[in-house]
Amino acid sequence: MKEDCKKNFERISEYLDGELGPDDCQQIEQHLEECPECRDCFDALKKTIDLCKKSAREEIPEDMRERLRSKLKDCFGNH
Amino acid sequence: MTTIATDVTDHHLIAQFKEGSMEAMEAIVDRYENRIFIFGLKMCGQLQDAEDITQDTFLNAFKYLNSFREETKLKNWLFKIAATACIRKRRKKKCEPDRELSLESFMNKDGAFETYDIPDWSDDPSNKVLQAEMKAVIGNAIKTLPHKYKLVFNLRDIEGFSTKETADILEISIESVKTRLHRARMALREKISHAYQEGKSV
Repeated sequence: MKEDCKKNFERISEYLDGELGPDDCQQIEQHLEECPECRDCFDALKKTIDLCKKSAREEIPEDMRERLRSKLKDCFGNH
Repeated sequence: MTTIATDVTDHHLIAQFKEGSMEAMEAIVDRYENRIFIFGLKMCGQLQDAEDITQDTFLNAFKYLNSFREETKLKNWLFKIAATACIRKRRKKKCEPDRELSLESFMNKDGAFETYDIPDWSDDPSNKVLQAEMKAVIGNAIKTLPHKYKLVFNLRDIEGFSTKETADILEISIESVKTRLHRARMALREKISHAYQEGKSV
């Protein structure tokens, strides 16, 4: 991996999270425009995070909800 | 003591709970049970463990809520309890020590260029089978992350806590949160892409 790419690779998450200063952002943006490999890495990372987030829309199963409430009632019914 | 800006609804519910309201307790559970359950499931990968984590979290929370002074948001406090429950569960199971993920292992070696084919999430409700398959792949990829990376990833990327909040919840430095998150994301990119490629070639 080239030195430029390595530098980019190490900071790409911070860039995605908006945690870098304007100079660093500009450097990374310029590198991403010039380097298809790092662009690919960046896009794949973004998609990975998005996919994981969207897959986490779940609800607690009904029987577990009920057991939780009954346990709480037992323990804190007269709190 | 500085009281931080907390959620107004939570603030009222906490006050009502302290006055003895069972309805307030139920309302707090309604607000957070899904999130805590998903966190437990993503951390442990098993429904039974996720149920234990959810129960432990709320039992402990209501045991100590009377002395909770809202120095942190209720949601953050609940996740701190949940994270502790996950760590305790892992200790009980006598799991192997955490592996370290090295950043170098995710870098393309000289000359080699690996492309990572990551699918898009399908929101089409008629695609239930595909969604279930994808959920299984993603769930499995997250499950196999070493514990300390998984904690950070789930809090930051799944639950949406900031870097600072995650550091506070886990009582680790901001730098550690950033390092672990980056490596976890890289590992997941690799795992999900490989699983997807294998699935496509079957």
